[in-house]
Amino acid sequence: MRAYLGVDVGSVTTKLVLLDENDQLLERLYLRTLGRPIEVIQEGLAELGRRQPQHLEVVGVGTTGSGRYLAGVLVGADVIKNEITALAVGASQYVPEVQTIIEIGGQDSKIIILRDGVAVDFAMNTVCAAGTGAFLDQQAYRLSLRIEDFGPLALKAKTPVRIAGRCTVFAESDMIHKQQMGHRVEDIIYGLCQALARNYLNNVGQGKDLRPPVVFLGGVAFNQGMVRAIQEALGMPVIVLPYHEVMGAIGAAILAREQMSLNGATTRFRGFEASRAACRASSFECKACPNLCEIVQVRIGRKVMARWGGRCDRWELKEEVPDG
Amino acid sequence: MIRVGIPQALLYYQYYPMWQAFFQALGAEVVVSPPTARPTVEAGLARMVAETCLPVKVYGGHVCHLRELGVDCVFVPAIRATEPGLFNCSKFLGLPDLIRATVEDSSPLLEIDIDVGQGRGALQRAIYRLGWPFTWNPLHIRKAALAAWEAHLGFQALMRERKLTPPEAIEGSGGEGHALDSRCLPDTGSLVIAVVGHPYCLYDSYINHNLLGRLRRMGVRVITPEMAPAQGLEMGIRRLARFKYWVYEAEVTGAAGYYLEDPAVDGVIAVVVFGCGPDSTMLDVVQRAARRQEKPYMGLVLDEHTGEAGLVTRLEAFVDMIDRRKSARGSWEAGSMEKRRECA
Repeated sequence: MRAYLGVDVGSVTTKLVLLDENDQLLERLYLRTLGRPIEVIQEGLAELGRRQPQHLEVVGVGTTGSGRYLAGVLVGADVIKNEITALAVGASQYVPEVQTIIEIGGQDSKIIILRDGVAVDFAMNTVCAAGTGAFLDQQAYRLSLRIEDFGPLALKAKTPVRIAGRCTVFAESDMIHKQQMGHRVEDIIYGLCQALARNYLNNVGQGKDLRPPVVFLGGVAFNQGMVRAIQEALGMPVIVLPYHEVMGAIGAAILAREQMSLNGATTRFRGFEASRAACRASSFECKACPNLCEIVQVRIGRKVMARWGGRCDRWELKEEVPDG
Repeated sequence: MIRVGIPQALLYYQYYPMWQAFFQALGAEVVVSPPTARPTVEAGLARMVAETCLPVKVYGGHVCHLRELGVDCVFVPAIRATEPGLFNCSKFLGLPDLIRATVEDSSPLLEIDIDVGQGRGALQRAIYRLGWPFTWNPLHIRKAALAAWEAHLGFQALMRERKLTPPEAIEGSGGEGHALDSRCLPDTGSLVIAVVGHPYCLYDSYINHNLLGRLRRMGVRVITPEMAPAQGLEMGIRRLARFKYWVYEAEVTGAAGYYLEDPAVDGVIAVVVFGCGPDSTMLDVVQRAARRQEKPYMGLVLDEHTGEAGLVTRLEAFVDMIDRRKSARGSWEAGSMEKRRECA
């Protein structure tokens, strides 16, 4: 059976999927990046390799996410795409008439506006990461809740408290204040969800033409509290797809299929096991000019596969992979 | 010979040929600080007050650098208004004061206060005062001022006619300017993207992580505000904001208004720095207009981040979006053609 591999290396989690030729999901993996993307990608590949029967043949690979270039080198990608394009392609596969995509991930949040299956506008959060998954994670930890319990508990709120959502530093001091006043935990955490939903729509969704159907993607869509808060703030129903957390990887795999059918090339995929080869990333400071750029070098075995991070082209070395 | 230092920051990109011609005509040697690099930014960040924007901090760094180059004085103008009735950002009004207060050990400042609203006489007096350290003869100063104006008009015409960016035009006219990483390659890119914003955001490739070079490497033909005709920019402002309020409104609202209407332009990117007051009001107007026109538009906010991943992702996504939109429209048109043929 011929299959396409999609890898989405995000700041907090790494997602891997295998699709068949009709874009049906065969396998999916959702792992914590844990600050060690190389090891996690390798473990994920090995796991996929173990799960797959012998006759499966990977004929195209796409990578996306903030670690897409690193993943691309490691896995041997045929296409390296930004996450906006990958998400738009992935979500329109499941909801072809989708007009708005909300994606809230670990470090950033995005909105994509589509018309007739094509992205026409998008936005990402600006400098600050307020209101993304990392903050929810941190607050759950502070309240000693498991992040999995956060959503169900938020839904139990009866009188949600009002929390300042503009900045997470203020939100946190607001939450502590409300907690010391004696408010119940579920009211506080649903209040937090509402604050984050408001902040998202004011910040990322500002000036955008939001129309239904709205699809909610990313790890934060696991949190039912956030889903309800966004629905209330938007005043429209929000669709949470079954595989919302791996939609970027699905999009990357579909883009790989499109790319391979376009040029009929053979894949650069290194194989599930080959990626286990010793892969090392190291960095050094370039002293050629006063900018002192930090150059990162990725080696597989003894061969330098890629180098990046400079402001000029002096050290730049990337495999020729079609990218956006 | 007096050595006059000019920081390669802020209004340098708008007026350098004019300033250079003026001081050279008065017999001075003009020294430009080298392009922004990490030490420049760090020196500026260490000294300037926190509330100012990144380009102003970078300016402070350039003033520090000029002192190391041993110039006799640094030219730091205060520009209040270039036309009667306009307002400028407070950081431009108070630039000499700001520099005096934060870079205490800088070379002596050579200042001019330009406020066209005060009338012709005041402007002439300001120019004479600027020229006095170089000559006692007012006629020499007058001649230098005329040469400066001539140089300025020539610079603007060069950019407009040959579709050059300010650094390219400055380099082309034998100045001290530096070229962008990839040179202007007219008519090679299949996509045309207008990048609007203040010149110190667009052409300081350290501040903007070589934005224009990156776009060109993606096969995009980049056009900038200087390449538009002056009346086009005025028309753009009238269309979007009705009347001009800010001194440097033409390069943002004006250029956006002009390029949003231009059918040859596939998309518009506005580049601003974090915390800019005037830009936040101008960009809101631009964003609404882009939505009305259904033209791809993206606002990019720059700050002190050294990581460029966010910028690269946005640029790639924007170029991709335009590409996919174009090809979708192409196939839709092809499809409707077929249908029409079937009907016939």
